[in-house]
Amino acid sequence: MCGIAGIMFKDFTLEGAATGESLISMLDGCQHRGPDSTGFALYGDTQEDQYHLRFFVDEGEEGQAAISRIREILAEYNADIVEDEVIENNYRATVTYRGDIQSFAYALEHAAKVISIGTSLEIIKDVGSAHEVDDRFQVSDFKGTHGLGHVRLATESEVKPEAAHPFWATGFADVAIVHNGQITNYWKMRRRLEQRDFEFHTNNDSELIAVYLADKMAQGIPLKEALKTSIDDLDGTFSFLVSTKDEIGYAKDHLALKPMIMYENDDLIALASEELSLNRLFPGEALNTREPPPGTYETWSRST
Amino acid sequence: MVTIDLAEIPVRDANERIRVHGEQREDVELINPDARHHLGVGLIDPITVKIRGSAGYFCAGLTDQARFEVDHNAGWGLGDNMYSGSVIVGGNAGAIPGVAIRGADVVVRGNMGSRAGQVMKAGTLCCGGNANFMAGYMMYGGRIIILGDSGERVGEDMTSGEIFVGGEVRDLGSDAELADIEEAEQDDIFEFLERYELSFKGTFKKIVNAGKKLRYSTSERQMRSIPFFTFSGTSDYWNPKIQEDIYIKSQIGRYRVRGYGGARELPHLADLAFKTDLSRAGDEPDPISKITMQTEIGGLNGAIPLKLSMPVMVAPMSYGALSRSTKQAIGIASGLSGIAENTGEGGMSDAQRGAAKQLIFQMLGGRLGWNIHDMKRADGLEIYISQGAKPGFGGQLMAKKVTKELAAIRGIPAGIDLRSPSRHPDILGADDLVIKIEELREATGYRLPVSVKLGAGRVSDDIKIAVKDGLDFVELDGMQGSTGAGSAEVMEYVGIPTISAIMEAEDALAEIGRRQDIEIALMGGLRDGVDAVKALCLGADVAAFGTSVIIAGGCIACMQCHVGQCVTGIATQDPEHEARYKPEVEAQNIHRFFECVRWQIAAITKALGHSDTRELSRDDLVALTPEAAAITRLPYAPEQRKSVQRLQLSVA
Repeated sequence: MCGIAGIMFKDFTLEGAATGESLISMLDGCQHRGPDSTGFALYGDTQEDQYHLRFFVDEGEEGQAAISRIREILAEYNADIVEDEVIENNYRATVTYRGDIQSFAYALEHAAKVISIGTSLEIIKDVGSAHEVDDRFQVSDFKGTHGLGHVRLATESEVKPEAAHPFWATGFADVAIVHNGQITNYWKMRRRLEQRDFEFHTNNDSELIAVYLADKMAQGIPLKEALKTSIDDLDGTFSFLVSTKDEIGYAKDHLALKPMIMYENDDLIALASEELSLNRLFPGEALNTREPPPGTYETWSRST
Repeated sequence: MVTIDLAEIPVRDANERIRVHGEQREDVELINPDARHHLGVGLIDPITVKIRGSAGYFCAGLTDQARFEVDHNAGWGLGDNMYSGSVIVGGNAGAIPGVAIRGADVVVRGNMGSRAGQVMKAGTLCCGGNANFMAGYMMYGGRIIILGDSGERVGEDMTSGEIFVGGEVRDLGSDAELADIEEAEQDDIFEFLERYELSFKGTFKKIVNAGKKLRYSTSERQMRSIPFFTFSGTSDYWNPKIQEDIYIKSQIGRYRVRGYGGARELPHLADLAFKTDLSRAGDEPDPISKITMQTEIGGLNGAIPLKLSMPVMVAPMSYGALSRSTKQAIGIASGLSGIAENTGEGGMSDAQRGAAKQLIFQMLGGRLGWNIHDMKRADGLEIYISQGAKPGFGGQLMAKKVTKELAAIRGIPAGIDLRSPSRHPDILGADDLVIKIEELREATGYRLPVSVKLGAGRVSDDIKIAVKDGLDFVELDGMQGSTGAGSAEVMEYVGIPTISAIMEAEDALAEIGRRQDIEIALMGGLRDGVDAVKALCLGADVAAFGTSVIIAGGCIACMQCHVGQCVTGIATQDPEHEARYKPEVEAQNIHRFFECVRWQIAAITKALGHSDTRELSRDDLVALTPEAAAITRLPYAPEQRKSVQRLQLSVA
C-alpha cells in the first residue's frame, strides 16, 4: 500500500549531497501510491559516542510530561544532552552515551514514542505529502550520504504519524527500513523474536523486517547475508529497502509482486517503486534502469 | 507529426490531444515522457505515436490500431489489453508486458519483467533479450517469442497459445510441456522478426499447454435436483442436501461445484424489523407518487452518474453463467424500470447492450471479454475483486457452457472448465489499484463512473482502500449472494453476512470521516422491496438484486446452474434449452417484479413518515434476534416479530 525510494551517493567526500531534496523529488513522483503519510530516514555526520534521538510528543502538558520522562531516563543511563529542541510534534535530542544500546532504547521506548535512535540516522515522518512534511521539518535542507523514503496509504490503522514509515529497528541504532508489501507470517516471526526478548512497538510488519535484519547484523552476519535469509524466512509479497550507517540494500520476494526499479551511475545508486521517481532526479533523460528479478537482494556500501 | 511536450502539459491533456490527432490521422511525438504513466491510453485510430524517452505503466494500454514506438524503457503493463496495432520498445519492459492483449504485436528489444503475456488472448509478444519469472502465465492464446532465456516456470498454467524460446528454457511451469516445432511456425517467426528488425540465429524450443489441468478429471454425477428452498434455512441438520454432498464427494474425491449460494442460516435482513408498526403501510393508494426515489450513483468525482428511477440496480451476473436470452430479458426489464444492468464477467454482447439503457461493464482478473470498444459504449466500469458467494475466488464456468460463441467473446478456447484467475495481473495492492483506476478513466475520458465489486470479507480494510483510491462507488456483496458455479464449502463458510458487510463498511468510513466520499450499492440475498428498504436504512445508497431477478424471470432454483442444462433456459448455453426461454415474456415478468419492489419501497418509506428514500436511517430499524442486534447495534426488540407478520400481509 505504498511507494518506496532510496538513494546513496557513492563518493562520501561529496560534500553536501542533496539526500533530502532528492528523496522529496522521488517521493513526490510516486505520491499517488500513498497519499496519507510520508517519511524519510536520513544519514548524516557522526561524532564519536553521540546519538541523535527523535520522539513523537503530544502538544501541551502531555508532551512536557513525556519530555521529562525522557530526560529522567537519559540521566539514569548517564546520557548527557548535547542539545535538544522541540520541532513540531518531535522532540529531538543529541546525547553522548557509551553503554549498551538495546536496554537504553527499550527504556526510552517505555517512556515515550521513539522515532529513531542513531549515531547517523534520523527518521522524520508525519501525515501528509512529501512537500507538506518538508514544510514542517525542512527535510530539503538535509545533506548526507544516503537515505530512504516512503509514502503510505493507511488501511489497517488510522492515519497517525507513528504508523508512517520508515521504521527504525527498535533496539538497534542506525537501522531503518521502508517496505512495500505484506509479510504474511508476521505473527510467527514476531513470536520467535519475542521469545528472545526483543520488543515490538507497533503491529506493523515493516518493524518486524527491521528487527529481523538488525538482529542478524548484531550477531555479526553481514547485511547482504541477512537479506538473503530474509527472502526465505519472510513469507508474503515485498520489496523493501534497508539502510545502516554505511550501507543500503534491497530484497524482493520470490514472486516479485511488488515493483522496484533501480538506477546506478558513477555518482549514485537510486532505487524506487517506479521509474517515474528515478526520472525525477534526471528530468528529460532516458535512464538505463534495471528491474531486479524475483527473489533477489543486493547491497551497496558507501565506503567502496 | 505533432510534438507534445510532457514537461509542459499533464498526461490527461496529452492523451486527449493524441485522440484528437488520431481522429485527424496525424502522427504524434511525445517528448520529455520521463516514465510517466498511461501514455497513449484509449487511442483507437491508426496513427504512430513516438515516445522520445521512457514510458511508465500501461503505455499503449487499452488501444486499437495505433503503432507506438518507445525509444527507451516501458514500465509495468506495456500494451495492456491492446486489440490490434503494435508497440515497440527500444529498451527493457517492466512486469506483465503484453498483459491481456486481444491481438496486436508487442515488441521489446531488451529484456522483459515477470509474468509477460499474463492472460493474453491473441497476438504476439516478442522479446529480444531474456524473459523473467512465469512468462506466459495463464495465457489463453496467441504467441510469445523470447530470443533469450525463458526465465523460471515459463508457461505456468497456460491454457492455450505457444511460447517459443531461442535461448535456455530454465524450467517449465505447471501444466506446460515442450512440443515439436513445425517448419511453418518457424518461418512465421522469422518473418515476424524481420518485420521488426530483430536478428536471431538458431532454433527455437516450443512450449505449449500439457492439457492436464484444463478440465476436472472426474465429473459430478447428476442427482435428482433438490430445490434450494427445501434445504436452506431451518431444515434438519442431516438434510437431503448434506447427504447428497457427502455422497458426491465420496465419488469424485474433491470439493463439489454447484450453483446458488450458501444454505446455512445466517443473520440477515430478515432478522431486522421496522421500529414503527407498519400494518397500515398498504393502505396508501399511490405511495409511488408521494415519495422521491430518483437516485444518482457514481458522480462524486466528476463522472456522468447512473440515473436510477429508484435506489435499485441489477447485481452483476455474466453472459456465460446465464444465457444470452436471459441477459437480454434482464436488460430490457432494467430499461423499462429505469435502473442499471451489469454485464458480469463474460463480456458485453450486442443483444445485452441494445437491451439495457444503462449498463455497467465488469472487468475481471482474467480480462475475459474486456476491451476498449465495449468500455467506450458502457455507462459505468466495475473492477471485480471478488463476490459475496465466494470471496477470494474467480468465476467458474464448466466446459458444457464454454461454447464456441461464448469462448470467442471471452477470447478463450472453447470447451475448457474455465476457472477464472482470482487475482488481477496488475492489481496487487491499493498502490497498483490507483494506477489501474486512472488507466480506465484515461481510456474513457473520465466520463464513466468506476466502481469496485467487493465480496464481503475484510470489508473494513477494503472500503478504506476504495475511498482512498478515489473509486466512485462500491458494489458490496454479502455472503448470502449467489453464483452460477462455486465450491459448495466456500459458499457455505467463506465471507461475512450482508448485514455485517454494510456495518463494517459504515464503521470503517466513519472512522476515517470519509462516508460522504463514496457510494455503496449493497447486495447479497435481497429478496424484495422490504429488504431493499432495510438495506437503505443501514446506510446503502442503492440496493441490488441478482437471484430474485432470475427467479422473477423463471428460475426454479434447482442449483444445477453449473451443469449447463438448465431446463428453464436461464443458466445454459445450449440452444435447445435456451429456446424455451422467451426473453420478451420474461422481461415483462422481471419488470413487474421491479415495479413491486418500487411500490414496496415507496409504501414503507411513506409509512415510516418520510417523503424521500434518502431520509431512511438506522433510527427506523430494530433487531429481532440477539445476533442481528449484536451485528448491527440496533435495539433488540423481539416483540416486533408480530409487526413483521402484519407488514408482510400489508405490503405483500
